[in-house]
Amino acid sequence: MGEEKKITGRKNVILCILSVLVLCFLLFPLFWTLITSLKTEKEIFQNPPTFYPHVLNTQSYAAQVETGDFNMFRSFANSFLISIGSMLIAVVLAVPASYAIAKYRFRGRKIMLLFFLVTQMLPVSVLLTPMFIMFKGMHVYNTWWSAILADTTIGIPFSILILKNYFASIPKELEEAAYIDGCTRFGAFLRILVPVAKPGIIVCAVFSFLYAWGDLAYGMTFILDQQKRPITAGIFNFMGQYGTKWSYLSAFAIVTIIPVALIFIFMQKYIIAGMTNGAVKG
Amino acid sequence: MHAVKRFFRHENAGLLFALPACIYMLAFVGYPIISNLVLSLQDVTVANLSRGEKHFIGLANYVKLFHDSVFMKSLSNTLIFTISCLVCQFLIGFVLALFLNKNFSFARTVRGLLMIPWMIPMTVTALIFKLLFATDIGVVNYILRSLHLISQNIDWLTSSKTAMLVVIIANVWIGIPFNTILLSTGLTTIPQELYESASIDGASTWQSFWRITLPLLRSTIESVLVLGFIYTFKVYDLVYVMTSGGPVNSTHLLSTYSYKQSFELFNYSMGSAVANVLLLILLMVGIIYLRITMQGEED
Repeated sequence: MGEEKKITGRKNVILCILSVLVLCFLLFPLFWTLITSLKTEKEIFQNPPTFYPHVLNTQSYAAQVETGDFNMFRSFANSFLISIGSMLIAVVLAVPASYAIAKYRFRGRKIMLLFFLVTQMLPVSVLLTPMFIMFKGMHVYNTWWSAILADTTIGIPFSILILKNYFASIPKELEEAAYIDGCTRFGAFLRILVPVAKPGIIVCAVFSFLYAWGDLAYGMTFILDQQKRPITAGIFNFMGQYGTKWSYLSAFAIVTIIPVALIFIFMQKYIIAGMTNGAVKG
Repeated sequence: MHAVKRFFRHENAGLLFALPACIYMLAFVGYPIISNLVLSLQDVTVANLSRGEKHFIGLANYVKLFHDSVFMKSLSNTLIFTISCLVCQFLIGFVLALFLNKNFSFARTVRGLLMIPWMIPMTVTALIFKLLFATDIGVVNYILRSLHLISQNIDWLTSSKTAMLVVIIANVWIGIPFNTILLSTGLTTIPQELYESASIDGASTWQSFWRITLPLLRSTIESVLVLGFIYTFKVYDLVYVMTSGGPVNSTHLLSTYSYKQSFELFNYSMGSAVANVLLLILLMVGIIYLRITMQGEED
């Protein structure tokens, strides 16, 4: 398929300027939050508003490091723990399952695939109440485990559906060669197929992490102690208590975005792959 | 023992690899779905949960729902919210995809950066839009005042007339990247030669769009709309953080109302019933998605 001819000259410049304007408009909300987090409370309430902080105020961040009044960094650590835990379980379970669905024609395969597709569509509302009752019974209620276990149910089906396509695209000969060399099924899977599917596995890890990082409903409902809650629930709590403390609130928002921004910078390629493969069958 | 071993030879060995994930999902999703269904047919509240009393009351919860004006309001709100978001994010996303698929220097970078709103936790997005649309210090009110479009600050989120609009705008902001990326991937699969030969035959850009782009993009558009519907219809965090369903229930969606019934009023069974209505509508549209995805999936 032929690439469209590269646009050059004046038309190129106009399109570039136009695209930057669109970008500025769409990302303005983020810019505004960032500068609000660096303003003093007085400047935030100033009219007309200032479009950059006239007095640079890093107090909203520093207060956290010094006193930790609002548990911003503790809840950051909680979120991190929950997201990593959820990511690990999702990847460990999804990788062999997606390999099986891609490479084997076992009994019940199609129903299994359908089940994973349906679970991917489920709203949290359907799972919240029964999970709440179940976790109370399992004695994981009000622990990190409740959020980890619940968040993983989003990561697993997504990962399986993505990885299935990666495994399916690996030629059969590669696996057969491993058998001839004396590998067992599990050995061939671990030593030959998993390394080849590595880009897909990274996509799954990134998305499982992001899903868990963004979750509010599970973390807020299953964990009651503020000391154990994820950062999203921390923000929600803080909003309820100090609804107009915008300098702290926006600092809170920026801290929550940091891991997302880092993932974006270093893993952009994988994010695009995940978004497109997850939705449109490859 | 021998029979078990024979069963797992060859193709059925796959089951062993798939079983752990399957058991996990059956335990933490399959079981809850069933128990949610059962729960909605009982009358479990915080009062009798600890005593373990569970009376079956049949469809009484559902009957009660359809006489509940807040539920009916949530149902229509959910539909209005979903359809408005879907239309706006699709149209804006499509225009952006067409624009960014032109081969100019910044196209790729800008397309990448556009994804950021989609990745941000919805709780944070909710906070950001509360800040932008705040009545006194909100920059939106300031800009509208400077342009002399309004003379007095609008109570965006505290007025039942405008709250839904703001919630929709916030959700469209999240949805645009998703639509742009998928549609723009779809656009790259259309062979460039088609446009070239069409223009040689004297077709205008407009004609090419209707005759080439749209028909060839049909399956992508289908997936984008169906997936968009599924994601939007079940949105919860965003609305819960922005308005908690208020003011005066004007932004209650089925998801937030279900949460309210279960975890604010502690009518667990009523919450389950609301969630099941949400699920039922979702599955009706979801069938289209299942059909698209399962196509060509042999046994």
